[in-house]
Amino acid sequence: MSLDAALLAAHEAGDKAALTRLYTQAADEAGDVDAACFYLTHAYVFALESGAPEAVALRQRLADEGREPVCD
Amino acid sequence: MNTQTNLGAVMTSVAQAKGLPNAHYVSPEVFEEERQAVLFNHWAGVGFGKDVPEIGDARPVDFLGMPLLVVRDRDGEVGVFQNTCRHRGMILVEEPRKIEGAIRCPYHSWCYSLKGELKSTPHVGGPGHNTHAEIKRDALGLIRVPSYVWHDVIYVNVNGNAAPFEEVHAELLARWAEFEGPMVHGGAASSFKLEVATNWKLAVENYCESYHLPWVHPGLNSYSRLEDHYNIEAPGAYSGQGTLVYRQLRGENGETFPDFGPHSEQWDEGAEYIAVYPNVLLGIHRDHYFAIVLEPKALDQTVEHIEIYYAQDGASDPDLAALREANALQWKGVFVEDIFVVEGMQKGRHGVLFDGGKFSPEMDGPTHNFHHWVASAVDAARR
Repeated sequence: MSLDAALLAAHEAGDKAALTRLYTQAADEAGDVDAACFYLTHAYVFALESGAPEAVALRQRLADEGREPVCD
Repeated sequence: MNTQTNLGAVMTSVAQAKGLPNAHYVSPEVFEEERQAVLFNHWAGVGFGKDVPEIGDARPVDFLGMPLLVVRDRDGEVGVFQNTCRHRGMILVEEPRKIEGAIRCPYHSWCYSLKGELKSTPHVGGPGHNTHAEIKRDALGLIRVPSYVWHDVIYVNVNGNAAPFEEVHAELLARWAEFEGPMVHGGAASSFKLEVATNWKLAVENYCESYHLPWVHPGLNSYSRLEDHYNIEAPGAYSGQGTLVYRQLRGENGETFPDFGPHSEQWDEGAEYIAVYPNVLLGIHRDHYFAIVLEPKALDQTVEHIEIYYAQDGASDPDLAALREANALQWKGVFVEDIFVVEGMQKGRHGVLFDGGKFSPEMDGPTHNFHHWVASAVDAARR
């Protein structure tokens, strides 16, 4: 299954753990920082919503690029 | 046209007063006026803590069209918020559910903590840019509605203009101070609701007086006569009735519910039934407590949400399950007996020649106390 198809399936299922993982993968495979931050944002939101521990590191990656406040 | 009702005749002594004019029961305009003046300006009951028992439990409540969200946060505290995203006004939570991490708006995914703090604003500064100079998260948290939980009833002051709950109800809190220990919900069999075709105020009025007991609840006459009751009147706060001959329910083997704790002699055979204005009805006994939240669905439609509580062992002891069920059935029977009365008074209020009614100075003090409070609240809001 392609990444796009896996993402659509995860959205359909409301599987937040999969959404976090797949959007992180999309960010890691992105060609530039803007695209990476777009996907990281989604990964972070679903991790935040589900209370997943990955939220901390995802937020830090966004903050490192100036896309989230350094602290809140 | 001036549609304001004349309340002067209500706001006098019980001996001289008339009851609230018909319009307070049959007029959509007055219902809307009371929504603000009576229910939103004061501490109204909107639910029960037992319905959000665990951290992260979130329960939407439609309170007269006002969308509220009741949440139990990570400190175990109950908070109430306007259930509306600060971005585009989207409803945040539509069904009761568990919030594992953050409350995410389903529209643009702004996320809020269980304390209402705005934690995430994805793409708000453009794709992949989650900040913007004009988006100040500290100022854009969920709007918190002042709330207070007392004996598991969640009270809110929607308009945020009332004095603190502990101040408004200081006298009542002191009156029942002996019962400050834990009260534990009796479980599914101790929970029921009644849908009644009446204005919510008539349920209050009927509840807080004992005058009707021998006529409407003849079964109580066998041990609880009218003369065994006393009126309770706290101007501006609450009213009700007390009994001097409360008799504990006994099971087949003589078992009773355990007491909430040590109590003074007054409560050996005493019990009290109090309407906490505007819309909460409470009953307290040495061994159980019940709370009724009146949900005004419409001018002439009210849902009575009834929950019964016990001391820890009274709520959890499996050997008392049958007794809990019997107690719930007994109370349900009493409350069902009241339905024809509150629905009948609602129908009677369409009699255009009815003048609000003549109170018995001796027996109707608690009801008049409530009318006086409602009239005063409406009057204050008009000024």
